[in-house]
Amino acid sequence: MECKTQTLANVVLIEVEGRIDHGTAPAFGSALLPHVEGCADESKKLLLDLSKVTYMSSAGLRVLMIAAKGCRKQSGKIVLAALQPTIQEIFKIGRFDMVLETFPTVREALVAISPAAAALYGER
Amino acid sequence: MTVSRMTAPTIDAVAHCTEFAAAQAREAGFSVARVHEIELAVEEIVANICRYSYDDRPGSVELCCRRLDGPKLALEFIDYGRPFDMLNLPPPDLSVDLDRRDVGGIGLPMLRALVDQATYRREDARNILCVIVHAGPRLAGDPAATGR
Repeated sequence: MECKTQTLANVVLIEVEGRIDHGTAPAFGSALLPHVEGCADESKKLLLDLSKVTYMSSAGLRVLMIAAKGCRKQSGKIVLAALQPTIQEIFKIGRFDMVLETFPTVREALVAISPAAAALYGER
Repeated sequence: MTVSRMTAPTIDAVAHCTEFAAAQAREAGFSVARVHEIELAVEEIVANICRYSYDDRPGSVELCCRRLDGPKLALEFIDYGRPFDMLNLPPPDLSVDLDRRDVGGIGLPMLRALVDQATYRREDARNILCVIVHAGPRLAGDPAATGR
């Protein structure tokens, strides 16, 4: 499991790659949860690109839930993009689709949460 | 009927049992998608055994895999912890707002969605959980399940 982070305007885009399971979930949490700090209103938003996540167990979902709750407490926003079909189904089973906003692509997520970040993303 | 067994200490039982079950499913000719589903189910089962049956204390988990016609696999998980029937745990309330949602608790709904049958029995101071998994993927998102 690897996380690569970049900042686009007021959005922290975290690209996650690999398996998020019982063994790698702690590392996923260590990479993601520090970014929750300061995630409030329009000042900073989090976007996770999950297009390269091939496997996510409930250990990974737990980390996402902790991040979502942390953002909510601060009136912040965390959204997810590009979930693989199996992970989308896992989300439905756990009703995560009711508590975390998801988008088909990173670009669509950026357009929805930050036009300024979407413009920077589009320049590449 | 092919029967394979393994035993792992709880400290690395999740990884070893998951790898073992995945290897058995691949050998039986299951699709990559279905192997992933079985890995998810086994991870949930073994993590629950370590956490609740053993209360996070050291122990061991045995996994016996029988290959049946169909093809399907019968996976039998045996542990020596306190009586623990994960199939009888109350279901989490997944309908509540994010603020009231528990951060965990979805392992069991996932398990139920991923396996075809599951039974529990307590026998000779052992917990024995048997799950049957068929070759066909259970999740609609799996390419093999939708013909994509």
